[in-house]
Amino acid sequence: MTPAPAIPPEIAEYLHGLVLGERPIAWLAIDSAQTLVAAGGALTEHGLDAVHGGCPVPEQLGFLEGLLPLAESPFRLQHVQTADGRAADLHLFVAGDRVWVVLIDSATERDAAQRVQQKAYDMTLLSEREARLITELEAANLELKQTYEALEESNQRLARELEEAANYVRSILPPPVAGRTLTADWLFIPSTELGGDSFGYHWIDSEHLALYVLDVSGHGVGAALLSAAVANALRAEALPNTDFRAPAEVLGALNQIYLMEQHNNLFFTIWYGVFHKRTRLLAYASAGHPPALLVPDGARSAAEIKPLRATEPVLGALAGIKFVQHEWTVPRGSRLFLITDGAFEIVKADGSMLELDEFVELLVESAPSRKAEPSGKAEPRGKAEPSGKAELDRLVGVLRSLHGPGPFDDDLSIIRFEL
Amino acid sequence: MALQKKICMLGAFAVGKTSLVRRYVDSIFSDRYLTTVGVKIDKRMVTVGTAEVSLILWDIAGEDDISQVRASYVRGAAGYLLVADGTRPATIDVAQSIQQRVEAEVGKLPFIVLLNKRDLQSLWSVSGQDIVALERAGWTVRMTSAHSGEGVEQAFQTLAERVTSHP
Repeated sequence: MTPAPAIPPEIAEYLHGLVLGERPIAWLAIDSAQTLVAAGGALTEHGLDAVHGGCPVPEQLGFLEGLLPLAESPFRLQHVQTADGRAADLHLFVAGDRVWVVLIDSATERDAAQRVQQKAYDMTLLSEREARLITELEAANLELKQTYEALEESNQRLARELEEAANYVRSILPPPVAGRTLTADWLFIPSTELGGDSFGYHWIDSEHLALYVLDVSGHGVGAALLSAAVANALRAEALPNTDFRAPAEVLGALNQIYLMEQHNNLFFTIWYGVFHKRTRLLAYASAGHPPALLVPDGARSAAEIKPLRATEPVLGALAGIKFVQHEWTVPRGSRLFLITDGAFEIVKADGSMLELDEFVELLVESAPSRKAEPSGKAEPRGKAEPSGKAELDRLVGVLRSLHGPGPFDDDLSIIRFEL
Repeated sequence: MALQKKICMLGAFAVGKTSLVRRYVDSIFSDRYLTTVGVKIDKRMVTVGTAEVSLILWDIAGEDDISQVRASYVRGAAGYLLVADGTRPATIDVAQSIQQRVEAEVGKLPFIVLLNKRDLQSLWSVSGQDIVALERAGWTVRMTSAHSGEGVEQAFQTLAERVTSHP
């Protein structure tokens, strides 16, 4: 068989028709003076209808600006697009004394390439955005962590300061005593680090014993500060022109000094009594405070317990209130309980509130089976007759079981005297 | 015949080259991102001094990790705008790389760096110090927004003046 031509004319003709059909071609011939000397092919398809032979090329064909004379031949640019959306592969080459410009339609290829490229760039931009968001998120996390650490440090400092304040509030409370003429024990359970309860007892002189308990509205630092200030004033007997043996006079003086508009709108309730050792007369006055509860020796029912109450309003709310002094003779061997409302206003597990009457019942139930004998000279709690503390522990145990787990809702103070 | 100058738009992909041309030539902006394949050629007349200059704008496909800008597209250009995205600092590095290659291929040409997308304030990541560093390297830097048109007209005009006076 004789060797056939590389591409038979039939195939060449077929391919020629195929390419021209699918990718219209236009051509231009330019001479060395950059004048258009001839043009042909699919000029319309390439938007070159208006080209004129014999005219300078740069005026007519802006896309050739700067390309002529050709620096290299052949020279090819892919997907050259015009404002009207046409796209062509641009081929320039020198043949003879002419530069030939061939435009081969590439709109289909351009569209296909654009679809692929668009997808790839969209994905890349998306991952760049994601990386940026992650970086920002990490920075925000770091900032949050640092803020949290600073807050934690601040909280710890505040907790330390609160603890110091709580220690101070406790430090001004009198120690329990167990003596021949007085036995006193107490329970003090603030609902938060700092509560508004305070109390005290001290001998005004050899005959008169002052006993008091107060409860400032609210909890926290403000309430604790006022509570400590009032307790200190009473303990130091630091109210001007006041006879501390006269309870009504004491409350009147306090009311004058601690008016709520001058003390951050805080007011307080107080029960203040003075026990005269020789006559066993207990004089007392109260400002909005729960009654003290006097339990005669051997009392076996709530009816035998005497509430020592008064009807005057809270202290600090109104100026010029006249407080009334009440008196009661205390039978020998009685137990006297000073309390704050937190001792009985306890929400029980069923949601109801414990009443004062129920608390009185609990007092009877928690009473020691055998009365503790006074043991003589006053001593600190460590060496005191334990029956008082045991009674209080039993009482608070019952209160806790009624309340359920978690801290009490209010400050709780119970001071127990054996008189 | 009016003076004719070829100006190329160069930079990384999606920095806003096409949007800048659309804003400059047609005073329009579209939020939809459409990637450019090859080169889009457009034209606008400007006045430089007393001369009318026809700017032939070559909006060349952006550079990505796989394909670099072909210097052949820049052949015959009188100057170029090097565009970076102010919200994507990495595109400044791409601009620097392109500038070095173009200069190696076609020699020194007037160019201006455009930090585009100035309207995206909350995402803007290029600091004043970054810009000072570019200016210390002798670059002219302008901030633009194809979205609002801020700085666009002035940037093209400045380059037109430079390429017209360039020998």
